[in-house]
Amino acid sequence: MNAETQAKVVRGSINGVAVTSSTDETILECARRHAIHIPTLCELHDIDHAPGTCRVCLVEIETQGSSKTLTATACNTPMQEGLVVRTRTPKLREMQRLQVELLLADHDQDCATCIRHGNCDLQDVAQFVGLKTNRFFDPERVAKRPVDAASPALIRNMQRCIRCQRCIAICREGQGVDALIQVGSGLDTAVGLRYGLDQQHSACVTCGQCVLVCPTGALGERDEIERVLDYLYDPNIVTVVQFAPAVRVGFGEEFGLPPGTNVEGQIITALRRLGADIVLDTNWGADLVVMEEATELLHRLKAGERPTFTSCCPAWINFAERHYPDILPLLSTTKSPQQCVGIVAKTYLPAKRGIDPSRVRVVSIMPCTAKKDEVVRPQLSHDGMPEVDVVLTTREFARLLRREGLDLTTLEATTFDDPHMTEYSGAGAIFGTTGGVMEAAVRTLYHMVNGAELDTIELAQLRGFEGVRTAAVDLGQGAGVVKVAMCHGLKPTRQIVEAVRAGTVDLDFIEVMACPGGCVDGGGTLRSKKHYLQHAMKRREAIFAIDRNKNVRRSHHNTQVQDLYRDFLGAPHSDKAQALLHTHYTDRKIEMAHSVREIWQEIKMAGKVY
Amino acid sequence: MSEVTYGVWDGVVYDNRGGVNGEGPHFPGLSNFDEFDDGNPIRAFVADRGFIIFDSTVSLLDTFHRQLAQAANESCGKCTPCRIGTVLVRDALDAMRRGEPSPLDLDQIFALADQMTQTSMCGLGQTCSRALRAAIREFRDVFEDEIRTAPAPSQHAMSYMTAPCIEACPSRINVPRYIDYIKDGKPAHSLGVILQKYPMAATCGRVCVRFCEMACRRKFVDEAVGIKTLKRYVADQQTGPNALVFGRDLIREPLGANMRVAVVGAGPAGISCAYHLLLHGYRVDILEAMEEAGGMAARGIPSYRLPKDVLHAETDVITALGGRFLFNKALGRDFSLDDLFARGYRAVFLALGCQEGTHLGIENEDPTLQGYRSGVGFLLQVHDHVAGALRVALEGDVVVVGGGNVAMDCARSALRMGAASVHVLYRRTRPDMPADAGEVQAAEAEGVVFHFLTNPKRIIAENGRVVGVELMDMAAGEPDAEGRSKVEPVPGSERTVSCNTLIAAIGQQVREGVISPEDGIAFDRWNCIRVNPDDLSTSRTGVFAGGDCATGPSTLIHAMAAGLKATRSIDDHIRLGRVRFRPRSRMRRLLNDNTMLAEDAVELPVKPQYRAHHPELDAAVRSQMFEEVEQTISIEAAYREANRCMRCYRIYSVITERAIPEGVGR
Repeated sequence: MNAETQAKVVRGSINGVAVTSSTDETILECARRHAIHIPTLCELHDIDHAPGTCRVCLVEIETQGSSKTLTATACNTPMQEGLVVRTRTPKLREMQRLQVELLLADHDQDCATCIRHGNCDLQDVAQFVGLKTNRFFDPERVAKRPVDAASPALIRNMQRCIRCQRCIAICREGQGVDALIQVGSGLDTAVGLRYGLDQQHSACVTCGQCVLVCPTGALGERDEIERVLDYLYDPNIVTVVQFAPAVRVGFGEEFGLPPGTNVEGQIITALRRLGADIVLDTNWGADLVVMEEATELLHRLKAGERPTFTSCCPAWINFAERHYPDILPLLSTTKSPQQCVGIVAKTYLPAKRGIDPSRVRVVSIMPCTAKKDEVVRPQLSHDGMPEVDVVLTTREFARLLRREGLDLTTLEATTFDDPHMTEYSGAGAIFGTTGGVMEAAVRTLYHMVNGAELDTIELAQLRGFEGVRTAAVDLGQGAGVVKVAMCHGLKPTRQIVEAVRAGTVDLDFIEVMACPGGCVDGGGTLRSKKHYLQHAMKRREAIFAIDRNKNVRRSHHNTQVQDLYRDFLGAPHSDKAQALLHTHYTDRKIEMAHSVREIWQEIKMAGKVY
Repeated sequence: MSEVTYGVWDGVVYDNRGGVNGEGPHFPGLSNFDEFDDGNPIRAFVADRGFIIFDSTVSLLDTFHRQLAQAANESCGKCTPCRIGTVLVRDALDAMRRGEPSPLDLDQIFALADQMTQTSMCGLGQTCSRALRAAIREFRDVFEDEIRTAPAPSQHAMSYMTAPCIEACPSRINVPRYIDYIKDGKPAHSLGVILQKYPMAATCGRVCVRFCEMACRRKFVDEAVGIKTLKRYVADQQTGPNALVFGRDLIREPLGANMRVAVVGAGPAGISCAYHLLLHGYRVDILEAMEEAGGMAARGIPSYRLPKDVLHAETDVITALGGRFLFNKALGRDFSLDDLFARGYRAVFLALGCQEGTHLGIENEDPTLQGYRSGVGFLLQVHDHVAGALRVALEGDVVVVGGGNVAMDCARSALRMGAASVHVLYRRTRPDMPADAGEVQAAEAEGVVFHFLTNPKRIIAENGRVVGVELMDMAAGEPDAEGRSKVEPVPGSERTVSCNTLIAAIGQQVREGVISPEDGIAFDRWNCIRVNPDDLSTSRTGVFAGGDCATGPSTLIHAMAAGLKATRSIDDHIRLGRVRFRPRSRMRRLLNDNTMLAEDAVELPVKPQYRAHHPELDAAVRSQMFEEVEQTISIEAAYREANRCMRCYRIYSVITERAIPEGVGR
């Protein structure tokens, strides 16, 4: 970096108030520091995204030594010495209003049918600028915009897109998946998938981080509430509902509770009020996964097969199958907790409770969009029936409660009552945050190897928040030191996968969670307007608190899991366990050869030669 | 010269509708503005800086509809005001000119034009309706009259979108467009834009002299966009399973077996011409004197800058498209131009290059001296050395004379060949050097010593070999017509340095004996083939020439541009027997003759973000190697660099009396 690029302290004014800023601060950042509100739409500070496409954050500026008034976008115009900024002149208010009106000229106006109604950045900004007219809206123009509903997980509705490019940024720079691209030009500019593929067949791994940053209803999960209602109100169906470790700590905000509140008990009550016949806990499945995965890991270590990647995260499985199929043999074959709960709820549970298994439907409530993709994997069905029938994201669950007139804050907390699949250890609980799967596994691995317990339960060396963390864990005489790594977010994951393929890292066990922060900040969690991963740390702390408050903190001490092995599976990794709790993966890499001719037909430029 | 009837230009209002009465501002002189093509007067002109009307019957509604239609068509669609505004205004003007009910009134059109001008993200949106805004403000009465009397009679028009970087590029590559496609995440589309103009993108992305970057307006903020770096990035994406495939399906319409054209020389000009001829459907044979394709790009550019496999992958496109290379076939030795026509070729393109080094013209200069080499001759030896065909060892001190890119290539290669020291003599100052500044810096970093304002006076030889050179200091004199100061030797400054090798790298010319008088090809006074600059025709019908043999030693990009130009002429010549008018070329000349693309400053503050640089190896390591020293930038760096482009697009429209003839490639 040379001297010219170094930030300098500068003085200017905003709305007549003297401000001190620096040359690497934008007008918008400076205004925010001084509590001056400038309406924004495409900008998202938490991911350092200021593409300047919406052109709503207009301000008037006068540069030093010039009496000329210029109109600038606050989000990407830097402060400079002597800059005079005005944010609320009549002319500006008029221009901002016109800008939002222009945005609405090409935007689905049917707000009442939109999943973001009442929770939409575009509605907010329209209110802020005082929009009164909507002169340019043309329903025919909007109707022509594509809606990609091919994916079982995500719906991409270009009739609601405002071209803020946040989704492209999070996919490209945040997750490093780079599946989303800009397609078309001019009025038909849209967000699409590489090579013109649809969402289901593209390089998209359905992690859903794009949904978390979308300011409107353009991106969202496939809404499956109707199917769940069908089950709940069908007397012939036994509706079994499970909910994931992270859901209970990332749900209360929707009803005004402080972020990070554990609402496990209220969720159980709500599910009963909704008419669920049996309420199970995915945490129980996490304990079961620990038993299987730890056993599998020891087998693999003994066979010299290393490293082993965890397999709980379906977006990670998609990523491996789509982008790095050569590493599939390194993935643990153990199914995810959701699928383990599903298959056991359709085999062991009906036998225990005397229910006809064909009447059982399993619904999962997950902080995840990729889980919707996971349940339709052909290898995750049993006797022609899916192991899990429907997945609702946390967001859909919130909508379901509202549709059924339930307010979480008025519900008493209750406890689980199924005696077979609801007990969980602290180890199962921490599956919802980065490092949790590894920590849970290590607690049990040590016991499997040594027949004794590890002195410390909370393994501080696994608990950082960097994208990739590595640690060496002494498993005692039986297995020695194992080298582990944990990554969250797919960009760090790509780094570690590349390093494994290049042979530049020496590792035994690698935990991957595709979403930054892990499941507590999954692509199916509640949206926070104008923020990204706003409540990450509070939810993580809440998860650790659940673990700390548990008497049983190790998966192998879960008595209901012990019962399952005793009465049904035999032992971890038994033939029956392998048949029911393990899966396989397939190479789904995307290879597309395009000819120059095809590209020439697509490119747009004046004076094309051919 | 037609008088301006009315208009607004650079904020000044001109109104001579009541006749020129000597009052009011007089429009500054326009050159070459009377007719667009022969007998076709220009009636109106619209630009970013304003509009001028030469004929009071011109319809403003129709004129600005043309301008906005082009803008709507070219809008990238990323920012709100341009994406929606261009379409709304276009449709409103269209309705008005047809006499149909308009969705917007003049006030609303003005508000949208103002919104686009003041709040759009890039040059296209900021400038496309600036003239319209001025027209409504100053000549509202004309619009109102037209609305009353609509529909307006139809007008003949042409719109042209360009940018400073495009105009600076000899090949007119649509630079902002290919940078956009990088931003969009579509490197194959980006490459597709380049491939419209020539097949050698990876080569150009390594060795281009970058006229585009010199014109880049980003330099008013921090420094020019790394256009060449980005070109190399997209070209280098083309490996692996997702690489673009060249096939004969690209050929628009294959022509009959008798539609054969001979290209003489497989250098950049010849390759580019053959590529375009093949795409036009012709049967093309390239006759090449050497045993490989690439010409000076293969033999004159060292492999540490341009690896041979990169170049050959690109010249192989000719074969993929069905073209034929006939190697070791030299004009003047193995065939004559008469032979080619006798063999049934309908036209010939001469792309012979300039391979003979120009002599220094100093005392004792004897090309047979051991240790004396011409720049181009030395680079050919280096090429053979790297190819393993010839062992060339340099030892001792090397003196290179010259300040161009060939001199830099010689100096940097000499280091790699084992020279103890390399000194470059240049008769002018460092800023005067025609070489790429980056090349000069790289040479300096690797240890080349520069002596500016220094010229050789006499070669010192002993027993038939070079042992030293006598030098003189030069002093700057008065600037000449081109602004370069003349230099004169400083009397009494003579001094002697010893050296084992002297490389004269001051220029090249067409090799003697290649063209014989019977070929009927005229030369100019610099010993280059004389061509008509408009169509590259030579003194012999059916023979065209381009590249270094017509211009003297020049750049890769100039040679490739000549290849495309020659193709258009050859195609017209064969099909029509004449070369057609080219509206886009005419438009470019109009802009150029009147310096329409003013270097306007960037008014709004922009956050400085300095350009991405190629990962380069340590100078000490690289001065030993002939493998490529620069690496491609990462995908993250490419996205970042692409985002530095400010898209300085401008749209220009002309309204003419009659229809504008359509030429090839418009």
